[in-house]
Amino acid sequence: MEISRRDFMHIAAIFGLGAATSGVASSKTPAQISLKDIYDFKATGNFSLLHMCDLHAHIKPLYWREPSTLISAPNLVGTPGFLCGEAFAKHYGLEPSSLDAYFDTYMDFEELAKKFGKMGGIAHIKTVLEHIRKERGEDNVLFLDSGDTWQGTGVALKTKGEAIVKAQNYLGVDVMVGHWEFTYGKERVHELIEMLDAKFVTQNVVGNDPFSDEYEELIFEPYTIQEKGGAKIGIIGQSFPFTSTANPKEFTEGWSFGLRLDTLQEYVNELRNEHKVDCVVVLSHDGFSVDQEVARQVHGIDFILSGHTHDPSPKPITINGTVIVIAGSHGKYIGRLDVDAKDGKVLDYEYKLIPIASNMIPADPAGAKLVDELYTPFAKELNEVLGTTKNTLYKRDTFFSTFDQLINDAIMDEMKCDISFTPGYRWGTTVLAGDDILMDNVYEMCGITYPNVYTFELKGKKIATLLEDIADNVFNANPLYQQGGDMSRLGGITYSIAVANKAGERISKLTVGGKPIDPNKTYIVSSWGGNLQKAGENLQEDKIRAVYDITRDYIKRKKVVDVSNEGNVTLVDYDCGCPVKGSRSC
Amino acid sequence: MQRREFFKQLGTAAVVTTMIPAMSFAADAPKPKSPNAFSYKQAVEVITGGKPVEISSKVQLKVPEIAENGAVVPVTVTVESPMTDSDYVKAIHIFATKNGNTRCIDVYLTPANGKAMFSTRIKLGQTQEVAALVELSDGTFLSAAQSVKVTIGGCG
Repeated sequence: MEISRRDFMHIAAIFGLGAATSGVASSKTPAQISLKDIYDFKATGNFSLLHMCDLHAHIKPLYWREPSTLISAPNLVGTPGFLCGEAFAKHYGLEPSSLDAYFDTYMDFEELAKKFGKMGGIAHIKTVLEHIRKERGEDNVLFLDSGDTWQGTGVALKTKGEAIVKAQNYLGVDVMVGHWEFTYGKERVHELIEMLDAKFVTQNVVGNDPFSDEYEELIFEPYTIQEKGGAKIGIIGQSFPFTSTANPKEFTEGWSFGLRLDTLQEYVNELRNEHKVDCVVVLSHDGFSVDQEVARQVHGIDFILSGHTHDPSPKPITINGTVIVIAGSHGKYIGRLDVDAKDGKVLDYEYKLIPIASNMIPADPAGAKLVDELYTPFAKELNEVLGTTKNTLYKRDTFFSTFDQLINDAIMDEMKCDISFTPGYRWGTTVLAGDDILMDNVYEMCGITYPNVYTFELKGKKIATLLEDIADNVFNANPLYQQGGDMSRLGGITYSIAVANKAGERISKLTVGGKPIDPNKTYIVSSWGGNLQKAGENLQEDKIRAVYDITRDYIKRKKVVDVSNEGNVTLVDYDCGCPVKGSRSC
Repeated sequence: MQRREFFKQLGTAAVVTTMIPAMSFAADAPKPKSPNAFSYKQAVEVITGGKPVEISSKVQLKVPEIAENGAVVPVTVTVESPMTDSDYVKAIHIFATKNGNTRCIDVYLTPANGKAMFSTRIKLGQTQEVAALVELSDGTFLSAAQSVKVTIGGCG
């Protein structure tokens, strides 16, 4: 095996791999950019792996603005996984105002959104998939899904994931792994897997209930071997390792998660030595930075198709001979990885992140029809116009975002609390300035199976400790101790943060309602989407209500919402939101 | 295949537990000062008598990076050792370095154990390092440590 890795590195050096085709770098308008530019690809080798991650149930096209702030511990700044805006454009050589710049960064987002339109949508994704299947031959293509597919929209929530399984079957997903999938509960996960044409593989979920038949047993098949283009491809599944801490335990009671790199290594060896595969792929929901650690610690993986952290990465990265790719989020991209593998070795590959520009890629009529069918039962509720927004409502950012602020405003208005916590998930939506806010958009921001907003009491001291705890999940210098989300969004609070400081010493100048926080005072706190209520006292049972109902009612009351992009967090040790490598500034 | 392998190992561990005559929980140790009253550093000194401790890759400490449940954190210590009469692992000590009681368990072994491996579950009050201190038959000490995060839960 050692030899084959070295060979691969050698070959990679000869071909200058890693500097694979960059995207559609050009500032052409939609009319000038042709489908040919989007499809343009140097077909390579004997099979293609098509990759999607973090669709979050977006079967329709959407607007999605990438973060304007993406801060990490100093050692990680400016590395793939922690790049945004100008730093991202510089790293990947994007032309300003190009289609790629629009898809990959927040820069000139509103203007470019009008120019290039919405992104993703299964009907458009399907057109791209079929184009490649036709070009390569059906038997030479695999479509792999890194998970976070079943959750994230109203249709997903209302059909308990079923609508999205239908969409996956339509797209022809071959293999998948999971994370938010598990928030439908163990039983439902098994039901949906029954309906799914794809294989659900996962090596890092093991029973931990000593009284169950599943004790110390794998819950899912750890891997699958697929034959494409005359090559045997071993695909090992890695679901989100921290599902049981990031999401409520009750959904997966009796199942233990974790990275489980020792067993991952065993399966890699088993595929190579016993099954003599030509190519080892890890289909992962670990997150982009964690998978870079995985590549450092586990030997013999050819490709990691990553997910979870929603990074668009136009170029693959190579660590210890393992090539890692990740394909953004929300159906914005399909990653195309052409591989030449035979005799147990990968000889060559080519990669491109294909932007699903819905104005340029025609919709497949069957897909458009399927989306209609899936939406029809809920169309009345989901299409209701709740109000309009003065400024663009977006989700992604390390500390603050306008749509989350709107949710916090809604919660504080109804709950009359001092502080509101909204989770720093990385999925959601974008509503452009001046546009209508539909109920569908509200579900896109907070459509989860545990939507309750809890209102309870917390001492000032405890709040400060909790914030430090959350900050350490986001800013730990070791990716293995991060959980891949952004900071919780806080209503009613302002604070300063020094990201590079030690755990427990990052946050200062914490104020509540404009006054310095009093460690001994009891504050009324509302929170959803986390476990915070378990740390609190005197839960107000009668006030418990779903966050999407609270948000809907608030927008309807306001009619026009006006959330400023100013933010409530002062970043002490960086000069800008998108620092470049080795720097605290842009 | 793989699962069965794991069960075999579990079997070994169970044997380890039952065959050890001198296994004692730290609290029972007959010291003038209760072992639990010691800080981590002091507790290590009491065990080693001040001898140097070498951080060694021969000691494999398996704990999760992020605890799924701080109340039951699985810990497995495996020591690379021939376990012969002339060269074996005499004891494995497991510490939760920041718990009120830092000294979780002391396990004493003999060559008859065949394999120096011990699995248990420990409770962690907060994010901290979990450490294993290993005493070899020649009187030298090895160790390994890893940070385990105990969190109320993060984000998705």
